[in-house]
Amino acid sequence: MSQQAFEPKLVGFLCNWCSYTGADLAGTARMTYAPNLRIIRVMCSGRVDPQFVLKAFQEGADGVLISGCHPGDCHYQEGNYKALRRHRLLSKMLEQFGIEKERFRLEWVSAAEGAKFQKVCNEFTEQIRHLGPLSWNGGKKNE
Amino acid sequence: MEDKLTSTRHRLHLMVCAGTACVSNRSFEIKEALEREIKKQGLAEEVLVVTTGCNGFCERGPLLVVQPGNIFYQQLTLKDIPHLVEEHFLKGRPVEKLMYKPPEGKKPIPVLNEIDFFKKQVLIALRNRGLIDPEKIEDYIARDGYQALVKALTQMTPEEIIEEIKKSGLRGRGGAGFPTGLKWEFVRLASTSNGGLKFVVCNGDEGDPGAFMDRSILEADPHSVIEGMVIGAKAIGAQQGYVYIRNEYPLALKRLTLALQEAREYGLLGENILGTGFNFDIKVARGAGAFVCGEETALLASIEGRLGEPRPRPPYPAQRGLYGHPTCINNVETWANVPVIVSRGADWFSKIGTKTSKGTKVFSLVGKINNTGLVEVPMGITLREIIFEIGGGIPGGKEFKAVQTGGPSGGCIPKEKLDLPIDYESLTEAGSMMGSGGMVVMDEDTCMVDVAKYFLSFTQDESCGKCTPCREGTKAMLDILDRITKGEGTEEDLQLLEDLAVSIKETALCGLGKTAPNPVLTTLRYFRDEYLTHIRDKKCPAHVCRDLNVYTIDEKTCLEVGHGCDVCRRNCVSEAIIGEKNQPHRIVQEKCIKCGVCYDVCKFGAVKVE
Amino acid sequence: MIQITIDGKKLEVEEGTTILQAAEKAEIHIPTLCYHPLLEPYASCRVCVVEVNRQGKKELVTSCNTQVQPGMVIETQSERALRARKLNVEMLLARAPAAKPVQKIALELGIEKPRFEIKDPDRKCILCGLCVRTCEQVVGANAISFINRGQEREVSPPFGEPSEACIGCTACAYFCPTEAITFEDIHDRKVIHDELYLGPSTAIRVPVRQAVPMVPFIDEDNCIHFKTGNCQLCVKVCEKEAINHEMKEEEIEIEVGSIILASGFKSFDAYRIPAYGYGRFPNVITALEFERLVNASGPTGGKILLANGEEPKAVGIIHCVGSRDENYNEYCSRVCCMYSLKFAHLIKEKTEADIYDFYIDMRCFGKGYEEFYHRLLHEGTKFIRGRVSEITDIPLTEEEDGKLIIRVEDTLIGTVRRIPVDMVILATGLEPGLSHSELAHTFNISCSQDTFFLERHPKLAPVSTFSDGIFLAGTCQAPKDIPDTVAQAGAAASEALALADKGSFELEPITAEIDEKLCAGCQICVSLCPFSAITYNKEKHISEVNEALCKGCGTCVAACPSGAAQQKHFRDIQIMAEIEGIFID
Repeated sequence: MSQQAFEPKLVGFLCNWCSYTGADLAGTARMTYAPNLRIIRVMCSGRVDPQFVLKAFQEGADGVLISGCHPGDCHYQEGNYKALRRHRLLSKMLEQFGIEKERFRLEWVSAAEGAKFQKVCNEFTEQIRHLGPLSWNGGKKNE
Repeated sequence: MEDKLTSTRHRLHLMVCAGTACVSNRSFEIKEALEREIKKQGLAEEVLVVTTGCNGFCERGPLLVVQPGNIFYQQLTLKDIPHLVEEHFLKGRPVEKLMYKPPEGKKPIPVLNEIDFFKKQVLIALRNRGLIDPEKIEDYIARDGYQALVKALTQMTPEEIIEEIKKSGLRGRGGAGFPTGLKWEFVRLASTSNGGLKFVVCNGDEGDPGAFMDRSILEADPHSVIEGMVIGAKAIGAQQGYVYIRNEYPLALKRLTLALQEAREYGLLGENILGTGFNFDIKVARGAGAFVCGEETALLASIEGRLGEPRPRPPYPAQRGLYGHPTCINNVETWANVPVIVSRGADWFSKIGTKTSKGTKVFSLVGKINNTGLVEVPMGITLREIIFEIGGGIPGGKEFKAVQTGGPSGGCIPKEKLDLPIDYESLTEAGSMMGSGGMVVMDEDTCMVDVAKYFLSFTQDESCGKCTPCREGTKAMLDILDRITKGEGTEEDLQLLEDLAVSIKETALCGLGKTAPNPVLTTLRYFRDEYLTHIRDKKCPAHVCRDLNVYTIDEKTCLEVGHGCDVCRRNCVSEAIIGEKNQPHRIVQEKCIKCGVCYDVCKFGAVKVE
Repeated sequence: MIQITIDGKKLEVEEGTTILQAAEKAEIHIPTLCYHPLLEPYASCRVCVVEVNRQGKKELVTSCNTQVQPGMVIETQSERALRARKLNVEMLLARAPAAKPVQKIALELGIEKPRFEIKDPDRKCILCGLCVRTCEQVVGANAISFINRGQEREVSPPFGEPSEACIGCTACAYFCPTEAITFEDIHDRKVIHDELYLGPSTAIRVPVRQAVPMVPFIDEDNCIHFKTGNCQLCVKVCEKEAINHEMKEEEIEIEVGSIILASGFKSFDAYRIPAYGYGRFPNVITALEFERLVNASGPTGGKILLANGEEPKAVGIIHCVGSRDENYNEYCSRVCCMYSLKFAHLIKEKTEADIYDFYIDMRCFGKGYEEFYHRLLHEGTKFIRGRVSEITDIPLTEEEDGKLIIRVEDTLIGTVRRIPVDMVILATGLEPGLSHSELAHTFNISCSQDTFFLERHPKLAPVSTFSDGIFLAGTCQAPKDIPDTVAQAGAAASEALALADKGSFELEPITAEIDEKLCAGCQICVSLCPFSAITYNKEKHISEVNEALCKGCGTCVAACPSGAAQQKHFRDIQIMAEIEGIFID
């Protein structure tokens, strides 16, 4: 498989109020961005259970993005801080599992930042494309 | 007390006048010399020297009255003393040459009461003059002082006191002549929602030039004022009194302060006076000498520490006075009258005087008059009696011309009105006023325009400047008078002067402005000719207005009588006189600055003035 | 009530009335100089003298302080009163020939020239004492008083030096009838157009013209009462007794079901573009300043004047100041084109000036707008397409001397032009209002990229926000003109009303729940919940969710170690399934 043919599979957990709306804005603004990111809407980035991330990687994701409101802007006051803490811990754990920490990303995207979402999405896709596919056999592939 | 009353044991009391006039004539030195001499003669046990307040006959100071006997010595000098002590006090032979001699050169008059100056006087406000030491409360008490207070506080209700004063017909001696009893009643009845305070104030801001009645009373008999104020306070229900006294009266200030101190020590002032439960004290407020502070509203403002300028009335001080509380403000002389009325009764008092003006009035007799001094006369006396009988007439055999009453606010009364009986109404009718009692006598050498100008320049200078007519009008009038005395006046000026005078009188805010034109108005009324001579002929008949004078030298007299003495030429400051010794002299008019020195120095009457 | 007669007119007035007040009632004019209705009578000028007959006694009295008495007969024009009044005015005229009120009364009384010595032909002070009394009675500062006496009397602070007691309120100058005390003497103020002052002039004012509600307020920083505890003149004159200085600012908590944010905009700060010279050139003004200038109630009474008081001969209007500009704001402020056209029209109407309109694009999008533009084209306004690069006062030609020169690239003819004008109006754009971001934070709503408040959906929920019950109206959401604002406000109001009308509130069915059987009672969730919706049940040893408080963020679910907490519609199992679903090719 040539590098160019590799299309990374990315999973994005987007909070309902900021990032999901930001993505929506990017859409209504007709911004083109990499189609690699598959979005799962959660009410708050604080809802993202570390298991979801592991599950995503297990299912074959090459990268996972958690995106929430900017610090201080959380619709639920402080859910995004929880997400930040979990991201730190989980990144360390993933490294121990042998998963590059670049594959697990946390971004703040507000509802007004359609362009930022576009940029984040494109960058992440390129970054993962550069890293290549994640050959993690902790999941279904062994079965 | 025992010690203080020993004075009654002395054989003779020498009452040395220590009024301001006599003090300035060194009466204290006389007193010391007397004491020294008496000691030397071994009379210390028998003869006591007492300093009294102003005797009144200031012209003749320093004065000494020997009691008993009422022997009057005048114009004493230090070198007279040994002789006097030896002759009179040791040998019992009164010294004639030190006694008063009437102007006509008759025999000396030894007894005070027989001197014309004193003969016609009736003493109420000045009842203790020359008889007590103003610095000793015991002297005042010995003369029945504070009897009236005892009566008022223990036997009379406030209403009765007011009724008595009303019945007496006493009117304000400060000038306007408002019935005192009525004023007290107003203050008594004034609502005191504002804290319940009331004040009595004694107006001792005597500012008229040539007037010194209030000063003399405060100097000679401060307790009479204090007693009057306490009675007044009781009558109106005041707790605090003020005496407003000008700082230029240091002796009066000192004696008053001392008297207040003594009265407090005797329980006649302060808390629980005479054990009656009545509380009242008096503070002294010193004025800085602004004439306008004699105006009651300005005076109150000054006591409060504000700018000493009058305010419109109403509200009258009786309604809203000191610090906004009802205030009864009377003049020094008025207060001094009160104890006498209370102790001797209204009926006695109201027998003296005229129908509308009761009692007596103190005048300070000054100017071109033989007997300068302080006189207390019953209301209704004529000007002629005061000037020619009490005052002894005009010195130097000159002609009487006019008398100015009421200070700078009063008017000039001419010869024709000499038989005017003095009371508030008659003086006002004559265009003058009672005022506080100044009386300036003028002789034929007086220029009436100059007199008007002098008094106006005083009021103009003393105007506080608050209201337009007084501030601007007096200046405008003064400018016109100035022009007239310089020979630059016109008849239109005279009309304008009169218009201004009337307008100022009618529209000025306070008494100062309302009365300021009086000297001009009265001189215009009685001496209009003099004004016209100034304007039309450019001449001053009395030769006072120097700019109008023309000096010439009668060459014949100069040569024949004076032999060309050359004194005038040597004294001429502007080198306007030419001539040599033994030659007739001549004045070069272009160079003459009209200073009048040549006229004064020429012993031969060769210099003439027109 | 008291019966009196004034100039033959019979009148009934209340006891305690002064003659002056009674005359006013009878519509009889008595001239005054030192009188002011708000100060105690001073009776110093003696101009208001009238002749009264009290029980047969005729006398002159000052009408300002003399109270009427029963049966009083007053003559304001009697020969005697007039003569005295005339003389007093004549004397005052000699003192202060430059005092306008005295000149006026003198003219009325037929005085041409005073017969008395004039010391200073420029003197204005008539010593009426209004300033001194104001400082004493109104301000309570006692910073000035009279000094000297008689002719030398004058108004002065203590020892003639600036007084510490002075609070700089300028009340003395305000009360001075002769302009003997001027503002400049006392206080440094921005002076514009001769003697008219731009900006707040009194401590009581309506915040802005056309303010809603149209209610004045007291500016505590400038109110004398708050400096000295005195004054309160406003209380004296307010018949309705509506003024209360004791009132304090207070915070009121009101429980509401919904909130409409309409916090408005602020005008672009023209200082930010130095090339346009705002603040350097007095005749470069912003749109709002021009609006004030041209307003009939404005400082010039609606006249369009330059700083030197002259009428401009050429005016330039610059569009898009701070809008459509990458350096400042990229968005179009939407209203500037139309108000600039209105200005051009007004200038045309009121002056003879040439008008230059510098635009990038004319955006006349609304109803009747394009037609108005056409009208302007016909009226002769010169439209120049191009962004102005600079405004300068350095002339290159004689024609440009003393003018402001606008440098612009005329893109229609493709050349750089210099256009000399007298006045430049900057059509400043709209920016989010003051404390805009604080508000966003308080109400937990988002802002769009242009920093205006973000609506929930540009098409489907244009007045709603992401916070339930909070709605937007007007320019806090985006620049818009008045019709659009009114329309949006109506929409926001109906949304709010609809919510209130319903009486109940629909919760999103996404709340968390805890499975009693699985919960170990570790209470991790309790500490995590930002809304305190989870409590620990001590009897059952489990945590419980209060669904009315739960907002459904799911934080607790993510943290629950036993999987007892679950969020409806966002259950672990559902999300896992979603993840799985993603990867089913």
